Amino acid sequence: MNLFQFCNGIIVWLVELVNNLWYWLGDVLPWYFGDFFTGIGDFAGSHGHIVVMTIVLESLMVIIVALINVLNFIWLDRKLSGRIFDFYGPYYVGYRIGGWLQNLADGMKLFVKEIIVPAKADKLGFLLAPVIFVGSSFLILATIPLSPNFGIATNESGEFVTAGVLFAFAAFAIAPFSILLAGWSSNNKFTLIGGMRSAAQMMSYEIPLLLTVASVVLLAGSFSFVGIVDAQHDIWFAIPLFIGLVVFLVCIAAEVEVTPFDLPEAEAELVEGWTTEYSGMRFGLFMMTSYLRGYAGGALATALFLGGWQGPSLIPDEIWFLIKAYTVFVVIEWMRWSLPRVRVDQILELGWKRLLPLAVLNLLIAATFKTMGWFSG
Amino acid sequence: MEDYRGSCMREGGRSNQDPTGNIERAPLTIGEDPEEHVLRTINDEFGKSVEGSERVRAGLIRARLARDSLYDACKLLRDDLGFEHLSMISAVDYPDRFEIVYHINSYQSNIMLELIVKLPKDDPTVDSISSIWGGANWNERESYDLMGIVFNDHPKLERILLPKDTMYHPLRKDFRM
Amino acid sequence: MWINMGPQHPMTHGLWNLRVKVDGETIVDAEPEVGYLHRGIEKICENRTYPQIIPLADRLCYGSSLTWSHLYCMTVEDLMGVEVPERAEYIRVVTLEMQRLASHLMWLAAYAVDLGMMAGFIYSMRDREVLVDLLQSLSGSRLTYNYPRIGGVAHDLPPNWDREALRACNYIETRLKEYEDLYEGSKIFMMRNVDVGLLTKEDALDLGVTGPPLRASGVRYDMRKDRPYSVYSDLDFEVCSRPEGDCFARYRVRIDEMWESCKIIRQAIQRMPKGKWRTVAPRNAPVGTGLGRVEDPRGEGMMYVVGDGSDKPYRLKIRSPIFITVSAAPSMLVGYKMADVVAIMGGLDMCIGECDR
Repeated sequence: MNLFQFCNGIIVWLVELVNNLWYWLGDVLPWYFGDFFTGIGDFAGSHGHIVVMTIVLESLMVIIVALINVLNFIWLDRKLSGRIFDFYGPYYVGYRIGGWLQNLADGMKLFVKEIIVPAKADKLGFLLAPVIFVGSSFLILATIPLSPNFGIATNESGEFVTAGVLFAFAAFAIAPFSILLAGWSSNNKFTLIGGMRSAAQMMSYEIPLLLTVASVVLLAGSFSFVGIVDAQHDIWFAIPLFIGLVVFLVCIAAEVEVTPFDLPEAEAELVEGWTTEYSGMRFGLFMMTSYLRGYAGGALATALFLGGWQGPSLIPDEIWFLIKAYTVFVVIEWMRWSLPRVRVDQILELGWKRLLPLAVLNLLIAATFKTMGWFSG
Repeated sequence: MEDYRGSCMREGGRSNQDPTGNIERAPLTIGEDPEEHVLRTINDEFGKSVEGSERVRAGLIRARLARDSLYDACKLLRDDLGFEHLSMISAVDYPDRFEIVYHINSYQSNIMLELIVKLPKDDPTVDSISSIWGGANWNERESYDLMGIVFNDHPKLERILLPKDTMYHPLRKDFRM
Repeated sequence: MWINMGPQHPMTHGLWNLRVKVDGETIVDAEPEVGYLHRGIEKICENRTYPQIIPLADRLCYGSSLTWSHLYCMTVEDLMGVEVPERAEYIRVVTLEMQRLASHLMWLAAYAVDLGMMAGFIYSMRDREVLVDLLQSLSGSRLTYNYPRIGGVAHDLPPNWDREALRACNYIETRLKEYEDLYEGSKIFMMRNVDVGLLTKEDALDLGVTGPPLRASGVRYDMRKDRPYSVYSDLDFEVCSRPEGDCFARYRVRIDEMWESCKIIRQAIQRMPKGKWRTVAPRNAPVGTGLGRVEDPRGEGMMYVVGDGSDKPYRLKIRSPIFITVSAAPSMLVGYKMADVVAIMGGLDMCIGECDR
């Protein structure tokens, strides 16, 4: 039973429960009021209304799963960096479970901090920039299914939307706009420079990313995630498109701004880059969204290259998907804590002069495979 | 990548070469002790202005000079006698005079020269040598800042260690803490 | 547009300001501003007796504090004409070279984290702990040791200290090999350091730059070899120098100096004689002047003391290598990108304590 049916069942049960109240009120109260409440009951029980509530509940569940994964990622990142640096990661908070509750402690700390808005900052831009950033990052997760039964971008019978990949990457690309907005409206020379650098970096790494995705779509013959994963039932796309996987991972690292690409937030020069003037939970939202985009990138890499949710059916499909996404994340974080930072003109040179030809080469390889007929799509 | 590992120049000890690598430059003296040569040259060129010169110990010589011939003496030191490096400019406040002590080093002949210039108490000005050695620039600014010695023709004689609007020169003896 | 990098900045080493004028990303002009940490040490010293100044000299450069107190003791010994026993000289050499190792390791840590590699920071600091623990067992404190005295050192080495020092040398040498592989095998590190921040030999000599930046520009002058003080004339080591003059050359010179320091420590421990470790110095200094020069990890340190017959110095002038090297920074910065500022200024190993005094 897929997610839609599950949530549908819950909503139908809930609506019937509440409708008892409305219909009782409709019976008890005299003429106009009674009709009013009966009308509410009819509206609530109508098909359209139930579908809308189901989708809201589905989205809520996907968001909760994503947030729990993000918390796990933050904990894993800190433990992993501790392992590389030869110290413990988070240790005391949540002593028995290895320090996992440190995330909640940090979140609470950020909640109680004072929100400071610079006096000359552009208030609307300052407020909107985190909203757009966080919102567009959650939007990426809208079309990525964790398994054929666990996704929100479906119709009632569980068939997924045909342009899922397109939507996911379109949402991925909204972020540079919000970063520019944040850097500009903070009224600070350094955040402006940081925002410009960040936007330049992100935009120049979108292109090899999308070319790689185009090669995957070419091989799979469909834009929907389910179609792509099903096309990998013989062999994962990571093997013929190995260059594509490498280019994809490097571009995701540049989009998420981990070292070696974290010049926009290089402390040695620009304090915190475009997030300098944000304090309290707004800053926390930026940090969390950065990990969320890392999770989304890992999920995309899994779905496109590593066979999605396919695996021995000992474990449910969703867990397989998550294990693969975590592996991709560990690889990116390993890179993050081991490498120095690349200078900004070298980053752009890397993106345009090295990755773009590799991505085109990858596309040629995919086209070759397709014409040979090895992937009949 | 070329082999960068452990490749410092393996010539143990001080070779007879000039460390600056100017092999085309002839050594300062042939057959004469370089320190004697330097002292003799200074005495010859600036005979009247030199008030005393001596060799303190191996590698350190000292000369006292009148302040009018300081600029020319420094030019001579850098161009002809091979003193490439100005180490330190100290200013000392005696009860009856100021003294500026220049420590100038020659890598080529491995000599340090201590050049002492006396200034009267009421007129602590002297020529700036930052056009001869660029390293004198900040040294002279510091002497101006803390001791109040004015250097003529300095490119930018401003306070460097104290705030720009300080009214006194703290290292003078009449500034009691 | 003039940009201020500092004085409040999380990652500039010490408290100073660098004003750069940029055209897009390229630096057109630069002007360092120091003086935020000026404590008036030279004036304070005129009110303290000679032994009371030794802890003050430690605090000149807290990154390599033994060098400065040693330099001060050397200068006053030159003024007073005090003869230091041989065992004390050997102990001084061993501790000086250990201080050089610790200072270079701390430089490497800060350099790595400025370039974004936090792993390098943690590893270098962890290895520095080995040396700092040894020096703590010798003198009692970890950063400002207050160990040399006028006429020798404060007290003798603890039992088995020299054996532990040899073990520390062996450990540091294995780690140095790993650092060479870690940094030079990283293409990103080489991209950010090779051909960045060029300092020509003529500029270095003219602007008065000393120490590793001078040796990295091709001038093979090391005061331990060319004007030896203490017992360096009896020890066998090489002068580390490279001809290129870029950031990578400065990094490489310091790594080579660390290898040589390990060699020196081993030789000095083996040749250390038994005997007294301190002669008592007179309380009052004669009228005259004293000059001391030492090869600080950051360059050429000098002190000039004027004595007037009393027990307090009349004038103590301190020459700080970083003061002059920072004034030479504009010639290294102009023409490079903003992102290179960290690499170039980090390669100079700045410790503002001695710059501002």
